[in-house]
Amino acid sequence: MTNSFAMDWYFITLIFSAGLYCMLVSRNLLRQFIGLEIMSKSCLLGVISVGSLTGSLALAQALIITMIVIEVVVVAVGLSLLVKNYRLTDSIDIWSLNKLRG
Amino acid sequence: MTTSLLAYLLIPLFTAVVIPFAARTRHKLADILANVTLLAGLLNIGAVLFNPVNLANSFSNITEDGFALLMIFVIYLVALCVTFFSAYFMGEDPKVARVPYYSLILTSVSAMCGIVTTGDFFTLYIFIEVLAVTSFALIACDESAAGLEGAIKYFLLTFPASLLILFGIAFLMLTAGTFSFESIKIIIASGMPVGAVVFAVTLILLGFLIKSGVVPFHAWTPDAYQGSYAPVSAYLAGIVTKISGVYAVIKISMMLRLFEVKAYHTADLLMFLGMLSIAVGALSALRQKEFKRMLAFSSISQIGYIILAAGMGTPLAILGAIFHLVNHATFKTVLFLNSASLEKSAGTSDMDKLGGMEHAMPWTSWTSIVALLSTAGVPPLSGFWSKLIIIIALWDGGAKAYAVLALLFSAVTLAYFLVMQKKIFFGKPTEASHNAREVRPAMLVPVVAMCLIIAALGVFFPYIYSYLVETIAARIIL
Amino acid sequence: MTYHLLLFILVAAAAMAAVMARSLLLSAIMLALVSVGAALILFDFQAPWAAVFELSVCAGLITVLFVSAVSLFRHEEGKTADLRARFYAMPLVMGIAAIAAWFYAVPFFESLENWARFGSRANSLGSILWDIRRFDLLGQISILAAGVFVINSIFPRRKRQK
Repeated sequence: MTNSFAMDWYFITLIFSAGLYCMLVSRNLLRQFIGLEIMSKSCLLGVISVGSLTGSLALAQALIITMIVIEVVVVAVGLSLLVKNYRLTDSIDIWSLNKLRG
Repeated sequence: MTTSLLAYLLIPLFTAVVIPFAARTRHKLADILANVTLLAGLLNIGAVLFNPVNLANSFSNITEDGFALLMIFVIYLVALCVTFFSAYFMGEDPKVARVPYYSLILTSVSAMCGIVTTGDFFTLYIFIEVLAVTSFALIACDESAAGLEGAIKYFLLTFPASLLILFGIAFLMLTAGTFSFESIKIIIASGMPVGAVVFAVTLILLGFLIKSGVVPFHAWTPDAYQGSYAPVSAYLAGIVTKISGVYAVIKISMMLRLFEVKAYHTADLLMFLGMLSIAVGALSALRQKEFKRMLAFSSISQIGYIILAAGMGTPLAILGAIFHLVNHATFKTVLFLNSASLEKSAGTSDMDKLGGMEHAMPWTSWTSIVALLSTAGVPPLSGFWSKLIIIIALWDGGAKAYAVLALLFSAVTLAYFLVMQKKIFFGKPTEASHNAREVRPAMLVPVVAMCLIIAALGVFFPYIYSYLVETIAARIIL
Repeated sequence: MTYHLLLFILVAAAAMAAVMARSLLLSAIMLALVSVGAALILFDFQAPWAAVFELSVCAGLITVLFVSAVSLFRHEEGKTADLRARFYAMPLVMGIAAIAAWFYAVPFFESLENWARFGSRANSLGSILWDIRRFDLLGQISILAAGVFVINSIFPRRKRQK
């Protein structure tokens, strides 16, 4: 149990890098968004791990609840932007976002 | 958060919620409500700042946070100019949804006032997310493909920055146990070893640097400014990217001087990134053909000056950074609003196609020229004073090479702007300028008012300087 | 302790499956599994309020949003082919990352543990949310209002045009 903090953060680093890899490699906009969501989950786990180590669990929970509210609104906004883009340009390919050049 | 400044946050939010109900049948009521709210707020904060009693005592009896008051004044000023302009710019455009547009602008004004009055990192993060969410929708509000592309790029490239800020806040909770600025300063000043707190603050700083659009994280900036709806790019460039990124960098850099040796690396990194932004912004602006994209690169360059001065960290440098932030808000608002007027009456914003606009649109041309001269740093306009303070602070602080380079790039910017002005406004009239007419007087009012403010800030500089020294340098910076 | 570790391994495996899945629908369902795993971890850390919030909001609401968005793009998936080779290389990349993190990250975080500053356990969640961090509630109200206005702006009600 003494090493639990370091082991937790080991896994959090792995999950974060999985999400980052997904964001960098995929061509589909929605898949990039899923990568962002995975990175966001790793952030939540990081906050609670820190809260458990320092004993301030109530503060960590308040932070996590606020972060979840913000994440929901951001996901809703992001998805509606993607849907609107699809309606206008008929594509969800990231390489098609190249009209603004210079 | 001081409760006396809470009203500046609550009233725009209240109006934003009321507008959809009040303007259900008569849409023009939304314009009137939004403008009246912002005007009332501006007059209120102006009365606090420009009270003759304060002027007589050289501002020593303002008890609230001077930086916050100045920022609230600039926020309301830019928001009022943009709202007034867009009321006439929108006309009967069927593609823009009028009522949510005003609600979004008022919500973002409320979020920005929340950002500048808070004393806590986590509340700062929450209000920055609110500002970001409203910005995504404002960029895309005219339903053009370019607008959506700019919004999606802004979204995908700044969301990881928010995650970095959250990781920094988590480490701050681990090592310092608290989020408020005052407590962290006390912890630093008490002399205990604080290496890990520096690490946490550096992560948060990196997140805010990505959000402010410094090089090498500037990929979203030109697309977002170019693609968005025209008054919204004035709003973005004028205040949103500054408050969401650069304000927090200045606030954090006020703390960095208190650390021991390890924080000097962070300060050096800030100065290097600032210099890189100045260079890349100035050189890229030379190659642009389109007016708004050129203005976007010039914005990157000017924000580089602010970050360079913030990295320097001496009290004079931080005063220069704050004053340059205020000035840049005024110049860019004028320039982007004028580019919106140009686009509306001449139909294009391609710089090769515009020529000789001075005959067709005299007011627009002369206000743009004033703003461009001020950006380049020509006396006695306000841009000259802020750049002078920054360069003197760099020279005095020992970073002589940086001071010389900053002066050099300022000369490059001046040369380029003079050439560009001559071509667009005084050159041979082209086909686009034959068809252009001057825009309505109501659309010119905010631009002319801003130019008068630019001139006033330059001429009344001694008062500004005493305000900055009395309320900011003497109290906040140790 | 092993239950704790097992939960983390479950979340990491579900995250990898979400990235490597071929169809977007499977990715969205794996993301829901990641959220359920995160909620179980929160429970195990003795944070029941955050766990139930995460379970109901993230594993429920966000999954519904994602699945409805995926169903709108259903017939476009065939046209943009992601390079599958990059995704099949993922276990290799993750293996390298895992080994590198074992040698660099774990000692780093162990040393970070020494800097920990222990906070007070006296406050309950209610007093923190309502008393100490009252302005965060104002921020949450602002972001919910902003979300409503954004949806209203992106999908406006069209009166005459269809």
